[in-house]
Amino acid sequence: MDEMSLLKKLDRVKAPPDFEQRLMARLSLEKRDASRRRPALGLSLAGAFASLLAVFAALNVFVLRQRPPVTVSQAEAEAPAQQFIPVIETFDYGTEFRSRAPESGTIYLLEQVSDTAPGGITY
Amino acid sequence: MTERMDEQELIRRVQNGDQVAFAEIVTGYKDRIVNYLYQFTGDYQKAVELSQETFLRVFFKANQYRPVAPLSSWIYAIASNLAKTEMKKARRVSVVSLDEITSHEVRSKAYAEDRPDSGLLKNLRQALDELRPRYRIPVILKDMEGFSQEEIAEILHKPVGTIKARISRGRSMLRKKLAKAGGRKPA
Repeated sequence: MDEMSLLKKLDRVKAPPDFEQRLMARLSLEKRDASRRRPALGLSLAGAFASLLAVFAALNVFVLRQRPPVTVSQAEAEAPAQQFIPVIETFDYGTEFRSRAPESGTIYLLEQVSDTAPGGITY
Repeated sequence: MTERMDEQELIRRVQNGDQVAFAEIVTGYKDRIVNYLYQFTGDYQKAVELSQETFLRVFFKANQYRPVAPLSSWIYAIASNLAKTEMKKARRVSVVSLDEITSHEVRSKAYAEDRPDSGLLKNLRQALDELRPRYRIPVILKDMEGFSQEEIAEILHKPVGTIKARISRGRSMLRKKLAKAGGRKPA
């Protein structure tokens, strides 16, 4: 006999007699809970939004209080005497090529990127 | 066709919160769903609990139902997903008291149809319980619940080819397990 046809003969069960009553009772409970949850959820969302708004306002008033615009003369007067260190480094390509020349895998691609004569590189 | 139209009308009413229509759906499907979940979990009490949860979801998520598929496919899909989730949970926590097992057996026998359970049927039940869910579900839906492969594909959201392969492999595994239990070579 084919085993698969035996599957149909495995004990089939039915729902218990009070299945529907229990289900309807649970349904009523769940509906009641859901209707309670909805206003509570709305209130908590509103509360959270109000708290965020209060925090934002407090930050603006006490922490991030805007200062009046600063003029250039004020800034110069307030700023300490600054020292500027010029960083100019010349790059010697000839030495660079010579020092890399023994490395057999080095390939140099030289191409002209501008028609104008280079005026030096300033960093 | 008329049945399907009636079901569509029923679910449309459930979408509007009609409990009478919901009760009609429950009456029509409760035995099938409880039996399906019992075959899947092998635990009658769990099957009843999961069936209740299935129908609650049918009620509360009725608006998510799209009439492109039969209502039965949608209900079985909910039941299958719940059962799979339950199985995963059970795998994590699998401590059952001896009393619970005994009382469960008594309860499941109480609602089972009167049918002598031969040794072969017992072996078959055990073999079915040992199958992995990915094979067990399609085999139960096909060979016990009578769904077509296309319908099973719809229920499980898998391609028909995958379902065909899983049914075939599931059956073959069942045969092997049965042959092993009966001490003979599989056909």
